[in-house]
Amino acid sequence: MKKNGILKKTWDGLIEFVAMHQLPIMAVLILLVIAFPFMTSNKYLLRIATLCLINIVLGLALNLVQGYMGQMSFATAAFWGIGAYAGTIGVMRLGMPSLLGMAFGMAVAGVFGLLIALPTLKLKGYYLSIVTMGFCEIVRIVEMNWQDLTRGSLGIMNIPAVSLFGFRFKSGRANYIIALIILFVVTILVKNLINSNFGLSLKAIRDDDSAAETMGINIVHVKRVNFVISALICGFVGAFYAQYVSFIHPSSFASGVSQEYIVMIIFGGLGSIPGTFFGCIVLTILPELMRGLLQYRLLIYGALMVIMMNFMPGGLLGNLDLGLVKKKILEKRKRAVLEGSEGGDRK
Amino acid sequence: MSANLVVTGLTQQFGGLTALNNVNMEVNLGEIVGVIGPNGAGKTTLFNVITGVYRPTSGSVVLNGKQINGLKRYEITRLGFARTFQNIRLFKQMTVLDNVKMGMCCRSKCNVFDNLFHTPRKRREEKAQEEKALQILKTLNLLDYKYDAPGSLPYGEQRRLEIARAMATDATILLLDEPAAGMNDQETAELSKTVSGLRDSGYTIILIEHDMKFVMNICDRLYVLNHGELIATGTPGEVKTDPQVINAYLGKEEEE
Repeated sequence: MKKNGILKKTWDGLIEFVAMHQLPIMAVLILLVIAFPFMTSNKYLLRIATLCLINIVLGLALNLVQGYMGQMSFATAAFWGIGAYAGTIGVMRLGMPSLLGMAFGMAVAGVFGLLIALPTLKLKGYYLSIVTMGFCEIVRIVEMNWQDLTRGSLGIMNIPAVSLFGFRFKSGRANYIIALIILFVVTILVKNLINSNFGLSLKAIRDDDSAAETMGINIVHVKRVNFVISALICGFVGAFYAQYVSFIHPSSFASGVSQEYIVMIIFGGLGSIPGTFFGCIVLTILPELMRGLLQYRLLIYGALMVIMMNFMPGGLLGNLDLGLVKKKILEKRKRAVLEGSEGGDRK
Repeated sequence: MSANLVVTGLTQQFGGLTALNNVNMEVNLGEIVGVIGPNGAGKTTLFNVITGVYRPTSGSVVLNGKQINGLKRYEITRLGFARTFQNIRLFKQMTVLDNVKMGMCCRSKCNVFDNLFHTPRKRREEKAQEEKALQILKTLNLLDYKYDAPGSLPYGEQRRLEIARAMATDATILLLDEPAAGMNDQETAELSKTVSGLRDSGYTIILIEHDMKFVMNICDRLYVLNHGELIATGTPGEVKTDPQVINAYLGKEEEE
């Protein structure tokens, strides 16, 4: 019991420290991740790092739906796959330039997102989970069997690498930087979104949707827009992924993959951007470190889920809002100063 | 003064149960109107019908000449209704300040793009909202709790926060569902001051309450419901002496 108390104290202290020194810590971290590809030329490391970045983007997109809106979605891999296939087909068949291909993948994923959102988000609770689970499987089966379009189980090979302004970025280093830029932009957009009225509406819907509607929120509309935004993000990064790895196969986008993202954000923390980063990074690197245990990965994930649900149902950094922690501390200090000066007057 | 809210012939049936039967009601601008009645009389159902949770079986609710029953709940709120809940329903994972700011979301002029890119319009609105939210919290004496989770607040404060959230929607009519439930005498007295303060600053208030002292002190007029029917209406003094009301609350005297 006592040990637990010390642990908690250290943890809270750590969070408070981070909250109070956000800017320098962020600056150091950003410098580190920018410097990383120039410190190593190990292709494997760069590849894992890039996958980490892509996974964080997908995790953020999923967290919008699951963490902030409170409805579990299994469609991450589906939208990711749709973006990858649509982007690739756009580039290889329709002759689109690289960036337009990504936009095309994003748009197609968004359209499918809207199609899912229109009927299902009138309902609340687990209906969305069930529909998206089915949707994910349908998408995989279509990718597998629509031979003319997707080459089915052969997968699509030799996808041209990302090219911008006439440059073709084939190196792992360049792709890492591009992924980093995508992540940076997506993080800022997601942060903006959840710190706005839209985000407040989302959180309110998560906490009590009926009360949210009574407070004047068109909850169905908000939920649909949010779901489509999430799908758009997945689609864009899917198209980038395809151009980065240059080979896509339906099995990369199976519903099991969606579950991994759910595990990542639940582990890191629902409704928290730092939590998403943490969960996605740890659970991308961990399986690589434990290659030997690969067959047991799902078993370990299952155990992890049970442990998390028991001891930290919100995830390690669930609902963590560093800005709020900082505001609280400042408020407390201000009050302490006020009380201190009052005490001084009395003397 | 012209009637602001007119309820005519409102009937609400759930299957075979008639929760409201031909209820008529008029609320004028700037009044505090109480709805009282024994448990199960249909008071909360009346609120639910007015705010659009249920669609009435028959009858109409008209606000300033515009029929509002049949509209969606959020549309009704945007017309200027806001309510609190009998069982407190705050947004538990949001701070007190965010709970209030959330009430303003329905008045937001920003679209998704403003929110995504934090355009200047969005920033101006955000600033105005923050100020207004702090102002509301100050009026209701909740400023010290602004960064706390609503669940950690004392009971009376939570009820006041519900009122704060309702005010944030820019409502003109507040519907308070048992605002004094579970409060001690001191808290009730404070609430009573708050509510009359709200009336003085221009709100029209309809409230459901069981605390008779509170109701009799504060309300301009009362509507008494029993078994879904309106059995009496008038000033607190009139209602208190109405034989039908006494029957409903105390039971009929046996005739010898």
